[in-house]
Amino acid sequence: MIGILAMGQALIIMAGEIDLSVGSVYGLAGVAFITLGESHGVPAAMVAALAIAALAGFLQGMAVVYGGIPSMIVTLGGLFTARGIIYVWTGGSVQAFPDAAQLRPLTRLLGGEFLGLEAIVFWMLIVLALLSVMLLKMRFGNQLLATGGSESSALSRGVRTDRVKIAAFVLCSVLAGFAGIITLADQPQTHVTLGESLELQAIAAAVIGGCLLSGGRGSLFGAVLGAIIIVSFRYELIALGAPSSWFMSFVGALLIVAVILNQKLARMAGRNV
Amino acid sequence: MAPLIQVKNLDLYFGAFHALKNVSVDFNAGELVVLVGDNGAGKTTLIRVLCGIHAPTSGEVFFDGKKVERFHPKNAIDQGIETIQQSVGLCENLSIARNFYLGREPVRRILGIPFLDMKAMRAMSARVISEFGLRDNVSPDDEVERLSGGERQSVKIGRAVEFKNRVVIMDEPTNHLSVREREHVNELAVQLKEQGLLVIYITHDIFQVHKLADRIVIMENGEKIEDALTSTMSAEQLEEVIRQGGRVVPKREAV
Repeated sequence: MIGILAMGQALIIMAGEIDLSVGSVYGLAGVAFITLGESHGVPAAMVAALAIAALAGFLQGMAVVYGGIPSMIVTLGGLFTARGIIYVWTGGSVQAFPDAAQLRPLTRLLGGEFLGLEAIVFWMLIVLALLSVMLLKMRFGNQLLATGGSESSALSRGVRTDRVKIAAFVLCSVLAGFAGIITLADQPQTHVTLGESLELQAIAAAVIGGCLLSGGRGSLFGAVLGAIIIVSFRYELIALGAPSSWFMSFVGALLIVAVILNQKLARMAGRNV
Repeated sequence: MAPLIQVKNLDLYFGAFHALKNVSVDFNAGELVVLVGDNGAGKTTLIRVLCGIHAPTSGEVFFDGKKVERFHPKNAIDQGIETIQQSVGLCENLSIARNFYLGREPVRRILGIPFLDMKAMRAMSARVISEFGLRDNVSPDDEVERLSGGERQSVKIGRAVEFKNRVVIMDEPTNHLSVREREHVNELAVQLKEQGLLVIYITHDIFQVHKLADRIVIMENGEKIEDALTSTMSAEQLEEVIRQGGRVVPKREAV
């Protein structure tokens, strides 16, 4: 689940921006999915939840590109705004799918199990494959990396860098929303703190996976690996009997170590960092 | 014959800074026009308007008789204006092949899905690399970051020449280049002009280009202060105009 968020974040970072709002968008899409799922059915709720996520990404992207505001500020605003909407929408209460909705085929497909593994693992691999093809083998990917590498150069070659960035924000938010939906299809219960601090874990995973915050370089596969490392740390710590409260500190230390290693490796490869 | 590019009463402000002051100038197809002037004279700003990076505050630009309404590099490129910029144009994090086709990537459809045609991109850029004498060990898959200043310049020039369409604008194209490469670039500029293209060439070195150019336009403090055919003014006279900042108007004569 963090893997999907991390891939979206990796795309944004490669485009030279950052998205702090993914945790809240994840929560908002999840809440929309559950509450609308009760009244309008699961498929309609899924479409609506993804549309809300896409809108969140679109509005933030517009503010960054045409408002000329740094994405750090815009998406910090997005983080609070979306979280506030969750509070208003749920009134602070816990909501869950009725049992019937939990047994619907789409819910099973999104959040069930397959071949003994959670469906979420397969979704992550599918998203990884699709996004990797898009990033490395298609025009949009080339223009996204160019925009992140040198926006003025990309612009001078006729790349619509404004559209590229907005598309990246929409994509990142939709992925966050999708991650929220499949998590809740598995554990269909919302609470107001759903997805809190996930944005930081997603950024950490992308950076541990080799994304440079200066943009233009990174790897989706690395972001997934970073997510796996972060998640497995949590279980390792519990298995080792360490208090799970230490989890956050370990993620922090890992992040710093990863960035140092990353720079050392990049220098060895002869790149400027 | 109507000019290919016509600039009329162009003014451009960056905030309070008046970068271009009531500039009017015509450029014709099949002509090699050199823009000269000191640093900050407005040469680069003027061509950045022509290639769509800056929109003018007031004034008009006509391309092929039609008024330019929207200023965006994409529109300029679509109309056939290729620009070799001084400081931008290559993304260091991408390979030469990917830079070469940036913004106009060729695609090959598989099941209707457009994938990048990397084969064509590599083949074409490899040809240009060898034509422009980059090191033998440079491959189209190498990132631009690994190239020297001269090699980067060669990639930019090669790209503009490859996609030559109607106008090629060169902003100090011979920077970072060796003597031999410089001659090659200057020959190319003349060849393009002889093929009927409009070539706009920006430089500091009036002596180097006087023999290539058809016309020389001098700028100073955002204004056009001289616009003369090279057949009527010698390089020395033009240099004097630059030195005097346009305060002295020398007599024109055949040279």
